This record gives sequence, structure tokens and C-alpha cells, in this order.
Amino acid sequence: MRIIIPPSWRNRINRYQLIATKCRDCGRTSYPPSDICRYCGSRNIEKIPLINEKARLITWTIIYNAMDGFEERKPVILGILETIESHARIMAPLTDVLPEELQSGMLMEPVLRRIMEDGEAGLIHYGIAYRPLIKPQ
Amino acid sequence: MLPEEKTGIIGWGSYIPRWRLSLKEIAEVWGFNPEQPEELNVVEKSVAGRDEDAVTMGWEAARNALQRAGINPKEIGAVWFGTESKPYAVKPSATIIAEALGITPKTMATDWEFACRAASEALRTSIGVVASGLVKYVLVIGSDTAQANPGDVLEFTASSAATALIVGPREEAAAYFEASATFVTDTPDFWRRAHSRYPLHGEAFTGEPAYFKHIVGAVKLLFEKTGLKPEDFDYAVFHQPNGTFPLRVARMLGFPKEKVLPGLVTPYIGNSYNSSALIGLSKILDQAKPGQRILLAPFGSGAGSDAYSIVVTDKVLERQDKAPKVEDYLKRKTLISYAKYAKFRGLINRIE
Repeated sequence: MRIIIPPSWRNRINRYQLIATKCRDCGRTSYPPSDICRYCGSRNIEKIPLINEKARLITWTIIYNAMDGFEERKPVILGILETIESHARIMAPLTDVLPEELQSGMLMEPVLRRIMEDGEAGLIHYGIAYRPLIKPQ
Repeated sequence: MLPEEKTGIIGWGSYIPRWRLSLKEIAEVWGFNPEQPEELNVVEKSVAGRDEDAVTMGWEAARNALQRAGINPKEIGAVWFGTESKPYAVKPSATIIAEALGITPKTMATDWEFACRAASEALRTSIGVVASGLVKYVLVIGSDTAQANPGDVLEFTASSAATALIVGPREEAAAYFEASATFVTDTPDFWRRAHSRYPLHGEAFTGEPAYFKHIVGAVKLLFEKTGLKPEDFDYAVFHQPNGTFPLRVARMLGFPKEKVLPGLVTPYIGNSYNSSALIGLSKILDQAKPGQRILLAPFGSGAGSDAYSIVVTDKVLERQDKAPKVEDYLKRKTLISYAKYAKFRGLINRIE
């Protein structure tokens, strides 16, 4: 695998802070961020971070035949989630969860993780994965 | 007034990975005496997952500390990361965390090195830069995915966890620093050469000439400086390489074990190196009451120790529930096999 450095670098803030865009006209949130509201076409938008928002798991897929570079992460679990306050839909890897623990509607939170890396010597690409909420005891 | 008294801990937070490996399993795999885990007073050690490292764990601990502090991340003037498990040998971990938390670009950011005591040296220095007015807040992080040569006795305890402290002005502090002292010498107790994957240790040097001499040295310096005695402290937190050394050094200094046990985390997660003593402090702050006094004495091989006297303020109460506590992370645990641990920690060699 080869991480292409310029796009990895350009997108780092979007990745680390889970930046989305909120439409000032219709109030809906688009993820990934977009200069035009995905719902009403307005250009009157603002950037908002979703990193502090919890989300509900809608659905997921478990990948047993992962692409090159992800062999040690099998099974890779990808989820589609909806954030609690801004109702943004996000597709992201799920982590710290076993396949048998997955449930529709479960509360999850975004955490910074190693998403991929270029072998032992190359760049490490950090980004967001979702994991089950840490529950207060 | 000592410079320390102008500063305090505004926010604190820790992180422990979900996965645990039983020490009994390590003993079985490598043919150790089955009683070895009991002698170390450690049952399980925490293991970072395949997508975790010192940066990701440090990030989560820092996020918890920021939630407790309730400050604007842009006001942080230094991000100091103490670790001996840097994901990059060259390229700072501190800048990744600073960027991810929205602290960049008007901040200092660097990684510190002093075995398990790097974060503590950063903590003592943070007192200086905050007291001088150079910066308002410093984010200090101790985070390690501790390495150990498979089959070495160190493997029993080398574990993964992180703790972050935000140091700032005393008026805003959940606990303020009263005084601090440091004691270092050149001691060959533990080292890792530049291109070596695992550390080595000078067996006989681990205890008396390193751990005990330096912690006792730093704490006695603190006592001389302040006139404080063990009876003046409600809690004592020492570096926790295993479950027995902290209790022994407490006895040597005159602290009863009741003052050590609330901050003793190693029996449940092993030695998290730069987070080892700090996670004990974090656990105590999670439950401390205003007015209580805490002794904190981290240690790092090579060797050195710092001693801090820390007094809890009434602001601690409003911040304790603002982020997950150490206890919450201790209870979130799932045991894994030695094989899975080997995969998670990159102990199995594959060709790409």
C-alpha cells in the first residue's frame, strides 16, 4: 500500500476532527463536508466538527477478505452511523467491538485511531473510528 | 511563595485499552514459575489494539482532560508528550495530538524522553513555564505501549495506557502544586539502544540502586524543602512497575499501605510506563475531596524521580464526572489470548 502524502495531509483536520458542513438555510448537516448543501443546494454553509458528538449505529458490514494493508485488522468492520445532535450520516470503521456485540441503535463515539500505514517505514495515517460508548460505572 | 504554588492541575484524564492479557498465560507460554504473577502482585496487563499506539491513547486521555478543564484548546501554549513508544522515531507525536485537538498552530509541541519519567519531567517544567507567565496552559501527556522482549520477565508487566494533565493558573485548578523536587543520577538499570526493538535491563540494578534510591531521594528532598511528613498526606502515588515496589517504597518512607492502595492500578493493568504513576494520580483525583494532600512520585530508568506535593481544591468536585474515570476504563475489559496479544503488538513477523 502507498499513502499519497498530499491528500492525506490536506485532509488531516477534516479527518482528525470529523469536519462536516451545516447548511444555514435548511439546517441539515452534510458529511463528508461539501461547499454546497447536499439537501437543498444552498451555498450558505458553515463547517462544524462532529468529533464531540455521539452517534447511533444504523448498520454495518463485516469484511473478512480485506484489501492489501488491512490483513492484520481482519475482520474489518465498517459501520454507518447517525450523529445524535446534527443527524449527520457517517461511514466509518468500528473498533474495540466484537462482531457478536454489534446491535442496531447502539451508542458509539468517535476516537482517533491508526487507519492505515505504509509498512514499517512509511507514513501512518490517523483518522476516526467509532467504538462503543465508555459507560460510567 | 514557591513558584509551584502559582500553578495547578486544571483538568486530568486517562485512557486504558479494552484488551487484557492474563499474566498466568504469559507464564505458561514461556515456562515461568506459575507463582511469578503473584510475586509481582499483577493479575492482568492492558494491551493496545491493532489500531492503537501512544498517539491515539494520548489523544483520548487528553480529550478527557480537556473535557474536565472546560477551556478553549487554543489557549494551550505547550503540548508535551512523554513516551518511550513513539510511533515515529523522528516526527513528533505531540504535533499530531495538538492538531487533532485543535490546539495548533500557536503552541509549543514536543516529545520528551526519560524512560518512564519523561512526562514527569515535562510536568515539572510545565510548572515553571506557567508560573513565569510564558504560557497560560500546558498539556502534559504520558502515554506508552510499553515494549518487552517476548519471554523476558519485563513482558509480564509492560502494558499500555495514557494519562493527560492540563497545568494552568492555581485560581482555576482542581488541585494545586505546593512544592516539587527532582533527584537524578546516571544509573544502568534499563535501556533501549537506537535500533533495538526491545529494552534490556541490568537485573540487579532495577530495585535498590534505581527505583528505591531515586524515589526515596526525591521524596526526602521534598520533605526537607517543605517540612511535610508522611502523616500530612492523604494519598501517596509512586511509579508502579509492579504491584509490590510501590508498597515497599511507601513502607521505607513511612506511608501506610492504606494511603497507597487507592492509587495503585498496576495489579489490574500492569506497568504503563509514562502513565504508570500519573494514572494513579488520575484515579485519586477522580475521587478526591477538597483539602486532601497527595504525594506524587514518578520514576524513570536511567534514572530519576520527581516528588510533588499536590493539594486538592473545591473545584475538583464539579469536574470529576465530566469525563470517563479510570475506574470506568478498568471495568471495560476483555481477556485475549497470547496469540492475539502477539498480533496486536506486532510480535509476529509477516512479509508484506
